[in-house]
Amino acid sequence: MPNGLNLLFQFLDSFAFIVLAAAGLAIIFGIMGVINLAHGEFIMVGAYATTLANLEAGLPLPLAMLVGVLVTAMFGLVVERVVISGTVPNAIGRRVLGRDVVEPLYDRLADSMVATWGLSLVMVQGVRLTLGNSLDQIGTPLGKIAYGGFSYSSYRVLLAGVALGLLAATYLAFTRTDYGMRARATVQDDDTARALGVDTERTYMTTFALGSALAGFTGALYAPTITMVPGLGGSFLVEAFVAVVVGGPGVVLGTTLAGGLLGAINALFSNLVGTFFGRIALLVTAIVMLRFLPDGITGFLDRLRQRRQEGA
Amino acid sequence: MATETETTSGPGPVDGGPDGPVASLRTYVEGPNTVGQSRPFWAGFVVAVLALAAYPAIVGGYQASRFSLFMVYAFLGLSLSLVWGYAGILSFGQVVFFGVAGYTFGVVAVNFATPAGITAAFFAGIVGGALMAAVLGYFMFYGGVRDVYVTIITLVSTLVLHTFMAQTAGDEWTVGKAALGGFNGMPTIPNLAFGVEGAAVRFGSVSFYYLVLVLLVGTYLGLRALVNSDYGRVMVAVREDEDRTRMFGYDVERVKLVVFTVGGALAGLSGVLYAAWGNYVSPQVFELAFASLPVIWASVGGRKTLLGAAAATIGIEFFRNSLGGEWALVAVGVLLLVFVLGLPGGIVPWVHDRYLGFRTDAGGPAPPESAENPEVTDS
Amino acid sequence: MSGRPYGRREFLASSALVAGTALAGCGAQGSAGGDETLKIGILEDRSGNFALVGTPKHKASMLAVEEINEEGGIDGRKIETFAPDPQSDNQRYQELTRRAIQQENVDALWAGYSSATREAIRPIVDREDQLYFYTTQYEGGVCDSNVFAVGPTARQQLGMVLPYLVDEFGPRIYTIAADYNFGQLSADWVKVLAKENGAEVIGEEFIPLSNSQFGSTINRIQEADPDFVMSMLVGANHTSFYEQKASAGLQVPIGTSTAMAQGYEHLRLDPPAMANIYAGVNYMEEIPTERNTEDGGFVDRYYEKYPDAPYLNEEAETNYFSIYMYKRAVEQAGTTDQEEVKAALESGITYPAPEAPSDTEIALDPETHHVHHHMWAMRADEEHNVEAVDDRVIEEQFLSNTVGCDLTAEDEETQYTPQDYFEEAG
Repeated sequence: MPNGLNLLFQFLDSFAFIVLAAAGLAIIFGIMGVINLAHGEFIMVGAYATTLANLEAGLPLPLAMLVGVLVTAMFGLVVERVVISGTVPNAIGRRVLGRDVVEPLYDRLADSMVATWGLSLVMVQGVRLTLGNSLDQIGTPLGKIAYGGFSYSSYRVLLAGVALGLLAATYLAFTRTDYGMRARATVQDDDTARALGVDTERTYMTTFALGSALAGFTGALYAPTITMVPGLGGSFLVEAFVAVVVGGPGVVLGTTLAGGLLGAINALFSNLVGTFFGRIALLVTAIVMLRFLPDGITGFLDRLRQRRQEGA
Repeated sequence: MATETETTSGPGPVDGGPDGPVASLRTYVEGPNTVGQSRPFWAGFVVAVLALAAYPAIVGGYQASRFSLFMVYAFLGLSLSLVWGYAGILSFGQVVFFGVAGYTFGVVAVNFATPAGITAAFFAGIVGGALMAAVLGYFMFYGGVRDVYVTIITLVSTLVLHTFMAQTAGDEWTVGKAALGGFNGMPTIPNLAFGVEGAAVRFGSVSFYYLVLVLLVGTYLGLRALVNSDYGRVMVAVREDEDRTRMFGYDVERVKLVVFTVGGALAGLSGVLYAAWGNYVSPQVFELAFASLPVIWASVGGRKTLLGAAAATIGIEFFRNSLGGEWALVAVGVLLLVFVLGLPGGIVPWVHDRYLGFRTDAGGPAPPESAENPEVTDS
Repeated sequence: MSGRPYGRREFLASSALVAGTALAGCGAQGSAGGDETLKIGILEDRSGNFALVGTPKHKASMLAVEEINEEGGIDGRKIETFAPDPQSDNQRYQELTRRAIQQENVDALWAGYSSATREAIRPIVDREDQLYFYTTQYEGGVCDSNVFAVGPTARQQLGMVLPYLVDEFGPRIYTIAADYNFGQLSADWVKVLAKENGAEVIGEEFIPLSNSQFGSTINRIQEADPDFVMSMLVGANHTSFYEQKASAGLQVPIGTSTAMAQGYEHLRLDPPAMANIYAGVNYMEEIPTERNTEDGGFVDRYYEKYPDAPYLNEEAETNYFSIYMYKRAVEQAGTTDQEEVKAALESGITYPAPEAPSDTEIALDPETHHVHHHMWAMRADEEHNVEAVDDRVIEEQFLSNTVGCDLTAEDEETQYTPQDYFEEAG
């Protein structure tokens, strides 16, 4: 029995980690077609802001987390204006040279990867130079759950609930709000959306800020449990990437299903064999999934649905 | 193909004119898929190669050895340019073939440390890289994986290899006399040597430099010939629109697999030379930071041009290497951002366009490229 | 002009280099000609993955150089340093090592934090017969005439803390280690030491360096229910283990050779994450020797030069005393000629290092080029106060007694592992 509970908690832990790592990236990739290789660094910004707010400014933890989210969202806004859409450089260019100097990165997969990789180099080294090689760490709140001879951190199990709540909130945002409708229209066909009066530029800006806020939220949530070094984003990047791609184009459903599948595999192998095999199993599963379901899980489900509609 | 509009008078052209031997060679390496078709270009190219040949004499063995590493990387940059710029496959995994080739070379060379053995190791390494590419390519392309998912799979392969190789530390991970060494890597890989005992050429710092230079020039010209051939046009067609190319009856999967394998061999050559240069290979070559370097080189230089990829590799690595200190990484990141945003096609195409504009503005005859052989592209 | 920028860039670069080399050529003579200064190379990471642990090494080295120069230098000659930042990149290390040896003509070289770095540059060092000090704690076993591995070995560190923990808590040990050379070899040493001390390793787990989630590891430890855990986790990702184990309520005592002394986790993490952790080290900022803690002692001098430094770590002290040992060797040999200095180092050099109590000095072993360290077992309590619970001199044993490495008699360039000599290992 304890082993079953162990496995359950490890699965929840893994599920939460994957979903929270992927959330911001999924939204940005799904809606804007931009691959943000600096996603890990956005998580770092959220974690750092939260830690500084809590330890230096003395704010209580939930408030500090809110600060983390807001700081990252604002940072994301700046990045969107300067790097992704190029609005700021173009405004300057128009004034100085009389013409636009950069093109937006939307739907330019390779270029967005390269540009955001450059951004991540600047961010990691910049933080190292300004804030030093490490920050002191906030302790993990909420104690532990004990069962049999085992125990698990309550906070980390709670994160699974937070992850699910986040997914539900994102789903509601996309289906019940104006923003969500505009975003989905822009994803489907941005020319038509624009023709119908949707301010696609504003939608992209809001989407990027939202994705950044989610990344910041992940950073804020994990700040009490991981080491605060400038390179901490790297440990989230792999899981985020793999989950987004295995999930496919459907943002909410894809992330949930990918988190569930990959989390289960990781937890199972880690539990039965060891952490090394858990990692390898996760990576190999991703490769296999991509090979047999190249459009991801939700892409596959979409095609099934289409086929059934046509077949019936 | 490449016709010359000769308007300059004077003594007969050095290369024997439009029907001379050089011109017929030039028909192989010139075409719409590469930059630089005119005589001034080739003159400049010869000057550059001569300057590179004179470099060790000017700066000495240590600097030459340092520079030869940048030239070794140029093969890696060229391999990505080939598969990405010419066939549309953005691969983060070129370092996988680089590393596999390096380790293969190391294992064979450490076990058979004679010149014949090292020669065999040289080819074994390249074959190893090509084979790995063929396997991965088959898995991906014949499985119908496309676009960004190819990129992700190549990225994940890099990570798998890194995690795996880093833990091959124990004695059980030894092939013959060569210990894989895990995270610490495999040191004491011998220098490159060709031939058999008694009639061998061993490559030290300066001779290694010249070997790499010769290989690089040869590879560059060979790749130019490849991409400007009929097969090269098929590659570019695949890059531009896979479905349309398939409808014309071309076996798109086979084309991608072949190109990917050739790219793997090139990356493998780079890996073998790298292992011989530093006498060392380690899992650090599979790290994300190194895996993204080829993408940076090709992006900044111009992935659709071979010259851009090679020149940018050497230039960026030289710059990165000379810039010490804490701000180096920040500078590289900013450089990358500025180039990708401002010159998304890369430097060399931009320079090329300026040059064409310059030539036309100056009132001279329109250079061959702009009039008769516009580059086949949709951007 | 599409071919020209390529040519022009090269031309400019090569002319700049010509000019630079011509100018540099004036000053880059070797120091064997009895010049005013001698030059040492110090290659320590100040950015990249190892910046946290490499920066104190660099700082302490500079402190030693400054102190020596203020006292008049070595035999009246001031020390010049060649100290660029290799950025935790082994390729840069290879290149900077070549530059240090071939262009800068350094008389002695200190380089590298990780064993991977050492192995990447050891072929270059050996090819050029360069005098090289490797100062990080490591797995042990390097028997190389050019290398002076003056940091503590795994056998010395684990050999300090493991017997103490067996005495205090019991014989059932669970090992967790980073899944690479150092971790695996240290785990082998745990098995050897367990046998020597009547203890038993009941379980082992090796964790990839990139892993930062330890839920299943913690559960497995709980399942095994050991008397204590031996932890050889390495790197920033692995530091998360301590916080996660504390939040899971895992309270088993942990012996370590890697935590606290290098990356000062007891200052960075919230108490009680590091409670009941026992570090076996030759040096930590908190060790209670007079040379370390007195007014104007090592700690005071370090923070006077670097008031904003976060911590004075284990390797920093090793860099510091090894530079002084080099000074003694050069003065004894009367020259900076590297072969003579190596011979002087093999004549039995000692030094009153901060890790050793007053009236004692630590000794460099002539045959193995390692140091007989004064080792300490340091314990962190619930508030992260660190105190010494045990200390003694532990000699280097593996190469001297088991392998029989004798560099005074025979030149060698090998690394030995316990698997070949002990049945229990591997």
